[in-house]
Amino acid sequence: MFANYVPVIVDGLVDAALIFFVAVGLTLVFSVARVLNVAHGSFYALGAYLSVVIGMWLTGHGWIVASLAALLLSPILIAVALGPLIERTLLRWTYGRPEALQILVTFGLFLVLEDMQKLIFGVEPYSQDTAVQLFGVSHISGIVYPNYQLLLIVLAIMVGIGLRLMLRQTRIGKLIAAVVADQEMAQTIGIDVSRIFVLAFTLGVLLAALGGALASPMIGVAPGLGAEAIVLAFAVAAIGGLGQIEGAALAAILVGLTRASAIYWAPEFQPVVPYLVMVAVLLVRPYGLFGSVGLRRI
Amino acid sequence: MKCLSSIIAALLLAVIGAPATAQTSKPAEVDLGIFTFTSGPGAAYGVPGRNAADVVIGQINASGGIGGVPVKPIYVDEGQGTNAVVAEFRKLASDSNNQAMIAALSSANCLALAPVAEQLQMPTFMWNCDTHQLFLKDKYKYVYRTNSSTVPEFVADALYLLAVKPNVKTVAIIDPDYAFGRDAGLIFKQTLKALKPDIEVVAELYPKLGSPSFNTEISRLVAAKPDVIFSNFWGADLENFARQAAPRELFTSSQVILALGESVLQSVGNLLPDGVIIGVIGDGWWKSSTAQANPQTKAFIEDYRKRFNEYPVFPSFKMANTIYAVKAVYDKALATNKGRWPTRDELVAAAKGIKVDTLTGTLALREDNDGLVDQIVGVTEKSSSYPFPIMGNMVRYPANLVTPPVGTDPIAWISKLTPTMLANAPKPGSYK
Amino acid sequence: MAYSGPSVFGAFDMVVWQLLALAVAAMALPVAVPWLGFVITVAIGKGLAALGVAMLLRGGLISIGHALYVAVGAYATAFLMLSVGMNELFLLLVCTTAITMASGLVIGAFMARYRAIFFAMLNLAISMVFFTLLSKLYNLTGGSDGMRVATPTVLGVTLDRTKFDLVLQFSAVALMVVVALLIDRYLKSPLGEALTAIHANEVRLEYLGVSARGVILAVYTISAALAGLGGAITAVAIGHVVPELSYWTASGQLVLIAVLGGISGVPGAFIGAFFFELVRTFAADFVPDAWNAIVGVALLIVIFFLPQGLYGLLQRVKMRKARL
Repeated sequence: MFANYVPVIVDGLVDAALIFFVAVGLTLVFSVARVLNVAHGSFYALGAYLSVVIGMWLTGHGWIVASLAALLLSPILIAVALGPLIERTLLRWTYGRPEALQILVTFGLFLVLEDMQKLIFGVEPYSQDTAVQLFGVSHISGIVYPNYQLLLIVLAIMVGIGLRLMLRQTRIGKLIAAVVADQEMAQTIGIDVSRIFVLAFTLGVLLAALGGALASPMIGVAPGLGAEAIVLAFAVAAIGGLGQIEGAALAAILVGLTRASAIYWAPEFQPVVPYLVMVAVLLVRPYGLFGSVGLRRI
Repeated sequence: MKCLSSIIAALLLAVIGAPATAQTSKPAEVDLGIFTFTSGPGAAYGVPGRNAADVVIGQINASGGIGGVPVKPIYVDEGQGTNAVVAEFRKLASDSNNQAMIAALSSANCLALAPVAEQLQMPTFMWNCDTHQLFLKDKYKYVYRTNSSTVPEFVADALYLLAVKPNVKTVAIIDPDYAFGRDAGLIFKQTLKALKPDIEVVAELYPKLGSPSFNTEISRLVAAKPDVIFSNFWGADLENFARQAAPRELFTSSQVILALGESVLQSVGNLLPDGVIIGVIGDGWWKSSTAQANPQTKAFIEDYRKRFNEYPVFPSFKMANTIYAVKAVYDKALATNKGRWPTRDELVAAAKGIKVDTLTGTLALREDNDGLVDQIVGVTEKSSSYPFPIMGNMVRYPANLVTPPVGTDPIAWISKLTPTMLANAPKPGSYK
Repeated sequence: MAYSGPSVFGAFDMVVWQLLALAVAAMALPVAVPWLGFVITVAIGKGLAALGVAMLLRGGLISIGHALYVAVGAYATAFLMLSVGMNELFLLLVCTTAITMASGLVIGAFMARYRAIFFAMLNLAISMVFFTLLSKLYNLTGGSDGMRVATPTVLGVTLDRTKFDLVLQFSAVALMVVVALLIDRYLKSPLGEALTAIHANEVRLEYLGVSARGVILAVYTISAALAGLGGAITAVAIGHVVPELSYWTASGQLVLIAVLGGISGVPGAFIGAFFFELVRTFAADFVPDAWNAIVGVALLIVIFFLPQGLYGLLQRVKMRKARL
């Protein structure tokens, strides 16, 4: 009946694109600061909320096309406002401390951010799908897809390649890579490690908020979004190997495609798929598909 | 051993003592615990419910309250999760001015609260708890449903579908993944199977309640190309589904049934083409001839629209009708008591078998505590008088036609339905 | 991390007195405000689970999936009543604890290989698998609606609910004291001290001829059993079990309660749980949209300024008094 696999692949890749934005930010922050940020999903939710609210205000005033800018503007606002602030105050304190404390501090931050979001944006769900309407639709093997969804796949690939290039080719990227490789050595040769940490964390926040903002035209924005996003991002980051950008990309595609296939052939198993894959991978390769030994502290 | 244990138990009982006695003198105010969602995706129904409660209680208090005592609502947010909701219920039950509870929008919460209400001997009226499982295995003394159950609600949709599309061959179902959605899928499927056995179900999807996105599910539905897609999504889920499915031409490629569609006509109705089958799971359609003929209802609609800048949706009427039912129960108990303030037990006794004229029709509480309410089904229809579509080609199925009789297993009753039922039912277009 | 009382016996005595004081508070509060009895019972359920998490934390292990065992316990109770027909409160508590203990032993056998972030993540993954299965296996578990838990009999006697709630509250308080004392003894035994040693230096422990994996497996199994017992109490207290019991935020709460209360002594977990449940109950009335933030800020304050938790704070106050 479903001899045609094209829709599964398209749906899987759209899903993968959205997961990738959150997971890659999480994994980037981990690779630099060695902190697993439980509050990362809240930045995703804030990105979605802010772009929806700004978008609604702009469309309400008749600036329909300008509302697209909200999708890019709001993640930048969130990253600039929260990134350095949180890194300088809370996160900095946790560096080098036991994982238990790091996780707890960011969990505390998660609780605070979740309620801040409720107090600012309320608890009623929002929708703002101007972007989906603006871009029109395409027919792919008999199924109508909004072009906006297809655009997301392209954007995710561009961000993935862009991140890679930035880390490999640019000066700042090389500095980050140096800190990731050996923090003490980097410090010794005169790299301002503290600045690199701020930069990397802010970039992580930006990516999460961008994921939320880009997803917002296709979803209903309501409380609970951040909690769902972070646990999925954990799964994807762990599958790929914490700290591995290529790993996050591959894991996102893996999870996206299996989730989409599940909806077509075994819908009951769709939600369990990411976590089953995560358990399987962690049992066989605790450091993830792309991860390396050397993290285990004994 | 047995002897020892009974001694210990007796000692325990002696330590504990007798439970507090309920108040029977006339209180300064009638506290009314009202459980509804004011946060999360459920708020899309919870808030219209609370708004309606505010309007109705205002109207009741303006005309003397209940037995001369003003009513004071105490709202509890169901969005806190089942455990917290149970804790709040216990807390409110210890308030002796609170003799009746209006509880639970979510079937998870009402299934959890029903036994608690029974244990605490707290008269509880389920305002939006439609799952037929509520009274399936358990008999309650203190729990009433002031609404219809899932069985009449979705049997009605199947009847309507077969009346307008007698040649339907393939059906797909997409419902939220919890009792209400699973019940609906089963009931709709079984009714079609009984009335038209050659229908094939080509896809059954139960995404999580409150999922932000249904995009992959929509692809699957479009790929399956069914004649009919049935959904009992509600609230934010329904709105998201409509927004995500409309640009993908789902509403034109298949005949879609949105069993709770009336509630989103004002928000996303313009995304829907004419002819989408929509229901109100009950009789709460504000523009129905019955509603418009009742001056009290017109006052309610006017008040509601003025305060909240929208017309009441069917969850508003479920709440409003429940509050009027609770008032009727108080009035009856007060009359039986010749004015002495009723105890909780006297209230539940008064509720038994009561028949109430509601804002949108009648509500009868049967001997099994279940409610009897008519079912209105129709299709979306562009309107020249409103900036959103309204219901057209309507039918009002009488409660007795679509509700299984007392004491029958609902699913067994459905499987015995025959096409004569279809012939005897009122036809689409017969109700205005 | 180790207990800092004047002597072993003196320390033991102090924990006894502290637990008795907690027990008296837990019994007295509901006399003043009757509906608090339920809150106290649920808090003890959470406290037991948090005690298990606190034990792991002593070994430097953080589990963001321990609500898994609370849910295993809660659903085991529901299934024992529904499918096996077991109806006796104390038998249910014992059997549920045994079942969770067994599940903890099996899963722990895998977990004991992992440390740090991997231990946390694997626990998270397994709890999320369990959560989604509970939510999706509608015909078995009732899906996201959960399952009903009827009122069990107590020593063969059927009680009405108000009386049952009181019996349950008394039993929970008694269990809290007994279990906490047992865990206190365990933590002060060589096996318990080895746990702290894992945190400090695992390799050195192995050189002493102690199997780190064995120590961790033992603690993991006990902590699972504690969480299961807590889950069973929660299930009969609420009368309903839902998959959310095992959602990752519930696991986060358990760690939060353990650290808030303080992990240096067994009463800490219960102090944390009482604090948490009371804040939540009162905040839900006054600032319904901000109680999470209040708890979150309290957590951050405790982490930054009171590394020993509320329990450590009490200890310090007491010691200062003793010095005077």
